[in-house]
Amino acid sequence: MTEATWSRSGGGDCIRLAGLPARADVRVFPGTVVAAGSLPPMAGQLERDGADLCFVPRFAFLDGTSYTVTVEGTPAAVLVRPRPERPAATEVTGIHPTAAEVPVNLLRFYVWFSAPMSEGYAAGHVRLARDDGSIIAGALLPAEHELWDASRRRLTVLLDPARIKRGLPGHQEAGYPLRPGEPFRLVVEDGFRDAQGLPLRVPAERRYEVGGEERRHVDPATWELAVPPAGTCEPLHVTFGRPLDHGLLARCLQVRGSGSKLVDGTTQTGPGEQSWQLVPSRAWAAAVHQLIVEPVLEDLAGNSVSRVFDRDLTRLEDQPRPAQPVTVVFRPG
Amino acid sequence: MSEFGLKPGRVSLRSAGPITFGPAGILFLADNAAATVFAVDVADPGAAGGVGPFDLEDVDARVGSFLGCEPGDITIKDMAVHPRSHNVYLSVLRGHGEAAQPVLVRISVADGAIADVPLDEVPFAAVAIGDAPAEDDERLDTTLPLGDEGEEIQFATIKIRLVRQPIRTATVTDMAYAGGALLVAGLSNEEFSSKLRRIPFPFSAAMTGSSLEIFHVSHGKWETAAPIRAFVPYDDGASVLASYTCTPVVHFRLADLTDGAKAVGRTVAELGPVNQPLDMVSFVQDGEEYLLVANSAHGLVKIACRDIDSQSPLTEPRQPVGVPRETKDLQGIRRLANLGGSYVLALQADDAGRQHLRSLKSASL
Repeated sequence: MTEATWSRSGGGDCIRLAGLPARADVRVFPGTVVAAGSLPPMAGQLERDGADLCFVPRFAFLDGTSYTVTVEGTPAAVLVRPRPERPAATEVTGIHPTAAEVPVNLLRFYVWFSAPMSEGYAAGHVRLARDDGSIIAGALLPAEHELWDASRRRLTVLLDPARIKRGLPGHQEAGYPLRPGEPFRLVVEDGFRDAQGLPLRVPAERRYEVGGEERRHVDPATWELAVPPAGTCEPLHVTFGRPLDHGLLARCLQVRGSGSKLVDGTTQTGPGEQSWQLVPSRAWAAAVHQLIVEPVLEDLAGNSVSRVFDRDLTRLEDQPRPAQPVTVVFRPG
Repeated sequence: MSEFGLKPGRVSLRSAGPITFGPAGILFLADNAAATVFAVDVADPGAAGGVGPFDLEDVDARVGSFLGCEPGDITIKDMAVHPRSHNVYLSVLRGHGEAAQPVLVRISVADGAIADVPLDEVPFAAVAIGDAPAEDDERLDTTLPLGDEGEEIQFATIKIRLVRQPIRTATVTDMAYAGGALLVAGLSNEEFSSKLRRIPFPFSAAMTGSSLEIFHVSHGKWETAAPIRAFVPYDDGASVLASYTCTPVVHFRLADLTDGAKAVGRTVAELGPVNQPLDMVSFVQDGEEYLLVANSAHGLVKIACRDIDSQSPLTEPRQPVGVPRETKDLQGIRRLANLGGSYVLALQADDAGRQHLRSLKSASL
């Protein structure tokens, strides 16, 4: 009888085997059922440690996995790597857009989590659902490549662009995934695993009303600016007239003062991503300032400052605009 | 390998992404988490490959067993075939979350033996990719690390450790080597655009590649840009056939792409609704070059390159036809690679989700 136990060797975990001859044919397989000869054994090496043999794996044992040890081709022991028991603590901290109503040609969502997440769960655990609970099938882009930020806390979820672009078979045959006047919810199921392999503490969702199409350029010339008085640190407040993209808003706007010097301060996106404000860290100078808008800034339907998402070649007003930053001038009074 | 600028060192992969072979058996590996492409001399030990097929049942279970995990705990991200030995390389993610480990696996076509390709001390070069992040993008997501990564910050009398990482990222969806350059297609996690990067190889510090934005026109009426999901160079790298996340198949000539200029590709086919293109490969049959497109819903599509060149832009919105194509009733194919000319190697999932390597005879496709 072979005695097999979890042990340590050279700073890593190993399987310690007692009572075996030095030249025993020892192999380790993941799982509890080993079909003889069909699968290669787990990579690793056998090391003698006193009277024992230690199997030191080339790749660390995985929590929650069983390992079968065979000796001379016969199963001799099964060891299970326990999965650490911890309460689920990770949760969704935000779902964007936060606007109550989105256009029928909505392009993307962002989901923020409170801790880094595992890849591979987005396709199965993020859904669009109707008020009656039924799933809106085929609405989201199948996510073979999940779009995370570098810390794996923000997930970008795209609606299937083939359903949104006019002229493509997806749109022609199946239409928009959303329907005007029919509310829906983006649902993040609690089976979505965090980086420690634990489910979410609770599922999360955000409900939206659905409006009409949005197919215009984002046009900073139409924005309303509440210009602060000079000599104060009151905010510059900008209202867009329609919701803009949460992710891009955070990097596409900046303010420069005289000499093109960047105005430092605290920026904040307003409710429903319909406005933005800058509270300067030093009082406004009574001089001409520029609000500089990057041309890639998009609205909820993927229309940007420089181009509409899906350009009708017959419409002059849909022509691309220069891919250059657009400047809005203001002067604190 | 010094002629390609490769220097010995450790390739520290943070994630497993697309892979493709370049000149002299150099493998390009995209590491999306590190926003880097590595060029690695994999020192393939195999003899020159023959002309025969190679099939391997349950490749996911076999690779999983070798790596010490259940098949459900590995994700095969991409597949490439070594141009000389025909050995099969898989870019594999083992485990999930913090336990996840990217591994490069080699499967010998001589005997099906599986090995991991050591990356500890190998000749390599690296290049930063794409829009990740823009130099003027100072947004960082700040988190408390579990280990000793990140930087130590002092708040009054308290020291804490923080990790600050960029929020904007670019994800490489496909890569190919053509005409002395690595072509890299990517998907931004923010703006919706179509950018193809052309990075000259050998990599140079001063030149990280030009970015080409490619538009396509739907049926002569609507012009849009979209991220390229899969693409394949053909005609000795002069042309590229690309498929988008939204399924049009678009042709463009590499010579027509100049840095910073807007390029409009010619839509030559539609792959149909509720479908994603997954991979593309070129092969030769009876002296003519053909392309194969693997799809999530519509089987395997075969297109003759000569038909692409003669196809005028699609004009009828309700006729998703375009270039003549044959649809092979082969479902579940996720990745394709040319196996020495006589065969195309396919990574195929069956109805039960088990994955297999299958050789498709070029002459019979």
